[in-house]
Amino acid sequence: MFNIEREGEEHRKLSYKDKNCVGCGICVNVCPTDSLRLGPIVPIARGLIEMDFVSINQDSCVFCGLCSVACPFDSLELTIDGTSVKEIESYPVWEVESNIDDEDCIYCGRCYSICPRDSILFERTLPNPVDLVVGEIEINEDKCIYCSFCADMCPAGAIDIKNIPTSSNDLLNNSIEVDLSKCIQCGICKRVCPEDAIKQICSTCMMREEIEIPEITGNTFISEESCVNCSWCSEICPVDAISITKPFEGTLELAESDEKVCKGDSCHACLDVCQCNAVEIVDGKSVTNLDFCNLCGACVTACPQNIRVLSRTAMKLTNINSVSWNEILSNLLVGK
Amino acid sequence: MAVKINPDVCGHINDCPVQGLCIKLCEQGAIIEEDGDVKIVPENCDDCDLCIQNCPNQAISKA
Repeated sequence: MFNIEREGEEHRKLSYKDKNCVGCGICVNVCPTDSLRLGPIVPIARGLIEMDFVSINQDSCVFCGLCSVACPFDSLELTIDGTSVKEIESYPVWEVESNIDDEDCIYCGRCYSICPRDSILFERTLPNPVDLVVGEIEINEDKCIYCSFCADMCPAGAIDIKNIPTSSNDLLNNSIEVDLSKCIQCGICKRVCPEDAIKQICSTCMMREEIEIPEITGNTFISEESCVNCSWCSEICPVDAISITKPFEGTLELAESDEKVCKGDSCHACLDVCQCNAVEIVDGKSVTNLDFCNLCGACVTACPQNIRVLSRTAMKLTNINSVSWNEILSNLLVGK
Repeated sequence: MAVKINPDVCGHINDCPVQGLCIKLCEQGAIIEEDGDVKIVPENCDDCDLCIQNCPNQAISKA
């Protein structure tokens, strides 16, 4: 993380948030003054070196903001007099999106579990199971011998037996109680009772028309702070409630030759740097699933064999008004 | 083919910025620590070149 500032006619500030940086090096490649450096991404990704993927030479940065507009993941931000250039009309803008439609979401939580960046905030309120059953339960204390079979086997933990006697004088102090806010009318207590002391009738099936359909409410939200548009969530969503627009279109291929081959399990540098969980080693070779790849290119930099070929055919960076910026930013398309 | 280390530029673990990054990176056991220094075990090397690419002193090259 860094924040550097320059006072002048305008107050310009460049901030780098390492949280959403994927180590792609796009910023480093577009910087016209060579002020940004990409660190050793493989050792950093493996946790062997503690440093940010990107560092800056404060003395040579001219605060032009090109890095800030080129970063598809919002890691870098230039502000001019407190306003981010991403909000200023004349600056280029990434038309990427990561959005969950509240109307369609059923709060299943699959997106939350699969997100490789822990970018999904998720909470839900489930109905009380007791509200979904109808029945009656009654214990005949004259018959009960307080053996605790029912309490020990009750799956809902609804039966409480108190004051197991410690002496012959204490026999009267036994008590057995069923907590009706927990009882799910399953009837196990009745079946295990050796003294036939429990009466229990479940009327759930008979009354099912009258039982209200359970309402499950919740909140699912993608944090743009760390989302890198990998699409795992939208691919796994069973109700198509999630829309992800990736920054690039294109392909990523392995170009092996006689001298250079993928070393798979020995190396797995590509897998380690991939923030999208899009890379797998299958039968000793790196395989990239383009459905989940955001074409950031970090794996291309990481590959010691230099056999990963990235081609970006389209990008969602629009509103590039300056000819010189357009020239530099168009280079993102030709690949590496 | 394995790799070789140029002893003049190698940090010899103690003076390496990451105290033997090549040893930590190599999962094949082809670069190990022996008597406080870096040692190459050529028969374990799979030529993945991770060590060459990541050595902070650029001390490693193809043998």
